[in-house]
Amino acid sequence: MKKELLFSGIGGQGVITLGETLCDAAIKAGYNVTFVPFYGQEKRGGRTMCNIVISDGIESPIISEADIMLIFDDRSLGDYQGLVSPNGKLIINSSMVSVEENVPDTVDVRKVPFNDVAVEAGNPKTANVVAMGYIAKLLPEVPFELIQEFVEKSFAAKPKLIPVNIKALSMGYEL
Amino acid sequence: MGEKVFMQGNQAMAESAIRAGCKLFFGYPITPSSEVPEYYAKAMKDRPEENIMFVQAETEVAAFNMVAGAVSTGHRAMTATAGPGFDLGQEAMSFMSAADLPAVVVEVQRPGPGDGEILAAQGDYFSAVKGGGHGDYNNLVLAPYSVQEMCELMQESFELAEKYCNPVVLLTDATLAKMRESVVIPDYKELPKPEDITNSLTGKKGREAHKVATCGDGAVQWEEFNLRLQAKYKRIAENEVRYEAKNMDDADIILVAYGSMARVCESAMKMAREEGIKVGMIRPISLWPFPDVAFEGITGKKFLVVELSAGQMVQDVKLAVENKRDVTFFGKLGGTTPSPKVVLEQIKKLV
Amino acid sequence: MKTIYEKPQVFTDAITTYCGGCGHGIVGKLIAELIDELKLQENGILVWPIGCSCLSDRYYDMDNFMALHGRAPASATGIKRADPSKFVLCYQGDGDMVSEGMAEIMHAAIRSEKFSVIFINNAIYGMTGGQMAPTTMLGQVASTAPYGRETLNSGYPVQMAELMATMPGVVYSERVTVTSPANVAKCKKALKKAFELQLEGKGLSFVEVLSPCPTGWKMAATKSLDYIDEVLTQVYPLGVKKDASKEEN
Repeated sequence: MKKELLFSGIGGQGVITLGETLCDAAIKAGYNVTFVPFYGQEKRGGRTMCNIVISDGIESPIISEADIMLIFDDRSLGDYQGLVSPNGKLIINSSMVSVEENVPDTVDVRKVPFNDVAVEAGNPKTANVVAMGYIAKLLPEVPFELIQEFVEKSFAAKPKLIPVNIKALSMGYEL
Repeated sequence: MGEKVFMQGNQAMAESAIRAGCKLFFGYPITPSSEVPEYYAKAMKDRPEENIMFVQAETEVAAFNMVAGAVSTGHRAMTATAGPGFDLGQEAMSFMSAADLPAVVVEVQRPGPGDGEILAAQGDYFSAVKGGGHGDYNNLVLAPYSVQEMCELMQESFELAEKYCNPVVLLTDATLAKMRESVVIPDYKELPKPEDITNSLTGKKGREAHKVATCGDGAVQWEEFNLRLQAKYKRIAENEVRYEAKNMDDADIILVAYGSMARVCESAMKMAREEGIKVGMIRPISLWPFPDVAFEGITGKKFLVVELSAGQMVQDVKLAVENKRDVTFFGKLGGTTPSPKVVLEQIKKLV
Repeated sequence: MKTIYEKPQVFTDAITTYCGGCGHGIVGKLIAELIDELKLQENGILVWPIGCSCLSDRYYDMDNFMALHGRAPASATGIKRADPSKFVLCYQGDGDMVSEGMAEIMHAAIRSEKFSVIFINNAIYGMTGGQMAPTTMLGQVASTAPYGRETLNSGYPVQMAELMATMPGVVYSERVTVTSPANVAKCKKALKKAFELQLEGKGLSFVEVLSPCPTGWKMAATKSLDYIDEVLTQVYPLGVKKDASKEEN
């Protein structure tokens, strides 16, 4: 098994946190996991992108083609859409992205308004968690229960936020 | 064996250094190495029982000279830096090798020249491996390719430095430093007593005075001094060659890469084999001494050297192979790392 | 027969390479006497600079560290932080400290490192043939200031003892000289104070010594002493610049 993922957005959207939580769950599921973050020079509001590789053996931490690509802003789409695998899935946060994608027809493009769903879940800040739920559905190799466990863990310091985030995660998964 | 944790390269490496008994860290923060001094600064306060000492030096010049002073007392000490800081440390590298000081230096490569960028690169091979300082000296240079190997080689670096009384450079890059990966952090190690370290300055009580000195006194004395150093480098060269060779028996094309680039090449090798192209790989782990032996006697095969540079290690490969016309180079500059797919395209050009 | 003076026990039998009339030897002897008196030989580490004193490891039968040019305070920091139980003495000249290593001494003072620093100020580069130092006097001839030091090109002499006195991390700063038996005695007293403050675990203790360099100055030895008393002390006045040893910590 080898899955290559690329998540990209703007600092503050929680794309990196999402990636790290997924990695934690994938490790617990027994895989080798690498996570390489790429930050812009600016500390806030700059772009953040990460490469994630989930595999049985040791693999390149730099991806060749994304099996799953998650895009949270216009510029990320322009910069990285060329890296999506012809048989891959391109997930675009349609609440944030207004430009049209330009990828081969074979790519499975999903446009999902993660921010709108987050508002529905009860907290607009949970858009990344909604996206996590959505990705969990596309990545059955990493059990949903483990992802849920690590989402809960990541809010251990703020237990009041756990219910809304679990709701957001489930809503993303059910989409 | 400890528990598997998901940890960043720099941080895992810093924890391994602490567990190797390196309680002294002197450094100047520079991206992409800053998590190492940050880790030490936090550990110094959070773990008082471990007597950790972190000093933020005014410059890398000072940091390297602080390490020189600290290791002269028989205690383990290190610094971590990136290319521009390593440049400033070169004076001390030459000194520490000449003065038989067991210093450990982590260099996290980022693209130069000049101020450069803060992405991944391998353009500091020459300055680490060929010795960017003055005079005839060598650093023992180790190049890990995973977070696990960073941790293990980090610990071993201290032992090697003390065994040979010579600085050891752990050469990583921004990808390895920033990457998170599952890793088992090696355990705490038994430490030698400061008095048992060769020539350590512990006060001359009960023994002859020890001195750390590299000042020449005429050509005859200085030649002798240099020949003694050369004997040290020869001992290292004879005993510390490390490399990994994979799928060599039936390979038509042999990839040669180190560090994070080797990690990419390993995936490219798998992809090539899935397509029926017989690809093998040599991964130098000790860059000095360079694993010449890995290339000995190999004829009739093509070597593809892949680096994040304009071609530095490839020079050593050409010196090591039987026929340098067998060697092709593929390099990438500026901070992006070619993906396995891109390397595969290069492999196909040689078929 | 009664012994009235003995060679300090810490001295080896090596003969120093200093020129006739040089001040290094006098200060070196005072250091040796104090090492004996304060019993520092077996628990001390001496850190030496690049300059005329760079063969000092041969003179003292104790652990020595011959630092890189200007870097002695950095290496001394490493030594003292690794093993605070040791007495650490950092000895530097004007080229080493004030030119090449200004950052290192300033930051050792900023961090309030717990070691003692002796600064030999002879206003010239003695070892390498009389080139201009940052402490060279205005108008003073040096091989790299053949018509005398000019402010337009080379700025002004640096007053280290006063500069160090402004640093909160420095516990003691004094400027002395070795031009007469009385001044030598004062020098020894200053060094002793500096060493004792270190042994008490206080911050950085600093002693600047105006030291004759007849060779570099192209002057007779006796005239060099007069030059210090009459000319150098005008720009580099003697005395205690700071003594925070009695203040509450």
